[in-house]
Amino acid sequence: MEILIYGAVTSAIYALLAVGFTLIFGVARILNLAHGSFYALGAYGTYVLTSIAGLPLWTAALVSIGFVAVFGVVVEKVLIRPLRHSQLGVLMISLAVALVVEQTLFLVFGSEYRNVPSFVDTKINLGGVDVAGQRLLTLAVAAVAIGALYLFIQFTRLGSAILAISQDPEAAKYMGIPSDKIFSLVMAISAALAALAGVMAGPFLSVQPSMHLLPIVKAFAIVVVGGLGSIPGSIAAAFLLGYAETCVAYLISSSWTEIVSVLATLLMLVFRPAGIFGKRAAF
Amino acid sequence: MTHALLEVKHLDKHFGGLHVLKDINITVQEGEIVGILGPNGAGKTTLFNLLTGFIPADEGQVLLRGKSLREMRSNAIVGLGVARTFQLCRPFVGLTVLENVLVGSLGPRVKTDDIGARAMHLLDQVGLAGKAHTASELLSYGDLRRLEIARALATDPELLLLDEPFAGLGSSEIEALSELIRKLHREQKLTILLIEHKLREFMQLVSRVVAIDFGEVIAEGAPADIVNNPRVIEAYIGRQNPLEQTQHA
Amino acid sequence: MKAFRGLDQFSVTGGLAALAVLGFLPTLFPGKYLIGVLTVAAIYGIWSVSWDFMSGLTGRENFGHSLFIGVGAYTAGFLNVQFGWGPWWSLPASMVIAALFGLVLGFPTLRLRGPYFALAMLSAAVIMQRLMLIFWEFTGGEEGIQDITPLIKDPLHYYWFVLALLGGITWFLAWMARSRWGLILRAIRGDEATCLAAGLPITTYKIASLIISAAFAGLGGALYAHYQLQVSPQLFAVVTSITIITMVYVGGMGTIFGPVGGALLLTLMTEGLRNFGEWRLMIYSLLLIFILFFLPNGIVAPTWNRLRHLFSQERP
Repeated sequence: MEILIYGAVTSAIYALLAVGFTLIFGVARILNLAHGSFYALGAYGTYVLTSIAGLPLWTAALVSIGFVAVFGVVVEKVLIRPLRHSQLGVLMISLAVALVVEQTLFLVFGSEYRNVPSFVDTKINLGGVDVAGQRLLTLAVAAVAIGALYLFIQFTRLGSAILAISQDPEAAKYMGIPSDKIFSLVMAISAALAALAGVMAGPFLSVQPSMHLLPIVKAFAIVVVGGLGSIPGSIAAAFLLGYAETCVAYLISSSWTEIVSVLATLLMLVFRPAGIFGKRAAF
Repeated sequence: MTHALLEVKHLDKHFGGLHVLKDINITVQEGEIVGILGPNGAGKTTLFNLLTGFIPADEGQVLLRGKSLREMRSNAIVGLGVARTFQLCRPFVGLTVLENVLVGSLGPRVKTDDIGARAMHLLDQVGLAGKAHTASELLSYGDLRRLEIARALATDPELLLLDEPFAGLGSSEIEALSELIRKLHREQKLTILLIEHKLREFMQLVSRVVAIDFGEVIAEGAPADIVNNPRVIEAYIGRQNPLEQTQHA
Repeated sequence: MKAFRGLDQFSVTGGLAALAVLGFLPTLFPGKYLIGVLTVAAIYGIWSVSWDFMSGLTGRENFGHSLFIGVGAYTAGFLNVQFGWGPWWSLPASMVIAALFGLVLGFPTLRLRGPYFALAMLSAAVIMQRLMLIFWEFTGGEEGIQDITPLIKDPLHYYWFVLALLGGITWFLAWMARSRWGLILRAIRGDEATCLAAGLPITTYKIASLIISAAFAGLGGALYAHYQLQVSPQLFAVVTSITIITMVYVGGMGTIFGPVGGALLLTLMTEGLRNFGEWRLMIYSLLLIFILFFLPNGIVAPTWNRLRHLFSQERP
């Protein structure tokens, strides 16, 4: 039972991270290695706004997410777009940004773990298991956010534009879809989702300057398994990985969880590089 | 019974729901120059991709002198003597013209020790010797086509597949290139399979034409017969007349 | 006629001259500090050159080079401390183990186009770092392995040894890069499909060059282990990989010898920035961004080429 619940929570966080990562890749062909930084900034932003600025938690969270979204758009426009012709360039610059963010956080806050306050302090008893309310809230919020994203893409004009660009950027341009504006919008959504993950998970996961690295690794693993550019694939893979890790943690030992993502990635690349739902085969 | 050089039997390929090639049968004897004619989207380049191992076939066989090429990797097929050019010229960016041809010379069939001299000789044959040390990205379109051919020849092929070699060239360049292909055919004893979607270009070049439309062979025969074939003409109605001069790109 | 350029005279003489100068510097300015800095610079040179041979030539960027470094270093540490082998065994052993990792990681990832190789290597390095911490009973955790015995006790002699290795490895890889091997790698960078159409087994070449790259990186790792006399998980850090890539950028991607200069420049610069303490990495990252935008061809190689032109024009 514990596995069921904790697996779901982990999967939800991974889903938030992976969907944003795959979204910006599917639409703009950008592999954003600073994605983890959005996650980190979401958590730190909430911490700063509550403990130093003294804002109420909900406000702090929303402001934090908003700030990260704007930050993402700025980074994309100023730093990434000029280098779009070179995939190496994009990888390097996004990694450089991630490092700058990490160093800034380190210089300002030091390397000790910080405490992001929880939204919900109570423990809820679910099927005989005591679960922190915060974790359940995370699950709920993630579901709502991804559901909202799905509705947005399926049912709004803007959403269709996003789909069009991800399928055929040239054709979309000829149809008058302003791809640059769409890139910015998608980046904002991507960053916001990652920041949301940071805000919700901050209370119970570690908050320190190098926290951006593992999310990138996990996001990459999920996206490989699910298929680069496929949102349903990312969600499915997020659950697969989340549950696989939770099972390993409970049944074997928590030290081995990292190996799950590595193994999954390598195996997938060997046997089915397109991923489970991959539209774009890697060959 | 000796095998024909190339036999394509019941070749079939789907891309998702799209049936791109339907039961294609083609035989090419050694020493022929055969033209594959068809409007855009007929499946001609897909055919080449299947023949050279870039894409796997769903069904059917491709036999080179009786030996099946199914499941073989594309670079292994080159090792058996099949070379191709691409519709969109792709020089090796960052390499000179000579280096481009040198890369082609590193394949398994070339046994000479002095590949440098051999490469220069090839460039000489296609008329690019003077530009040996130019950066390949700087070549004109016509020269790029010649480079493609030199590079393909460098692998020492028996069967040369040319994918729309005349596309985008002016009429005098087409003449020159045709002459070059004829010369190479004579001197190197090559068998050539040539794709074009304008008949005019290769009417004098090829001995036989296979016309394809929507993935099916619709006619086969001498160029003069094909031009008058009702099915071929029908395939081109609504598209350009196959006898028309090529336009500049 | 010669198909491949081979190493030109200017480069060879110039390179030897540079090595000689580097070798003599500590005798002009005696002191352990300079020797230490130069030794580290030379090791970074080995790491940069090995990265350039694979990623600089093929354009397939390896974001996890630190993995091979760490593997080589930890191999040295294990053999020396845990198993008590003599330190000289570290050198071949580190190369073999690192090469194995190159094979295992390269095989699934290099077959594919797109960013998979770069990201998979990055992930692999991050995971290795975590594994070193998780299995702390075997690896010593945060503190890693201590008390490694040095290869050569005298720092100056060790420096000369490392410098000689740097020279040898650079010469070898530069020679390879200008041979048919290098031509194929550069063609792979140009267009992989066309390479296949030329009959070349490109995946084999990519994996082979990764193995070579990994082996030398591992060797550098072992040399580092026997210099620092300890290894820690920090070796696997992303920062190490990024530093090396920056050095290659500054030196000139794909030139092989350029990255040596890049390594030297940046190591000296880092030492100069010592006073900035915690700001070092920050400045590094900002520098990287600057170079990506304004100096994509680097500094060292273009300068060297300009010098070479000057000299060849002066000849009668």
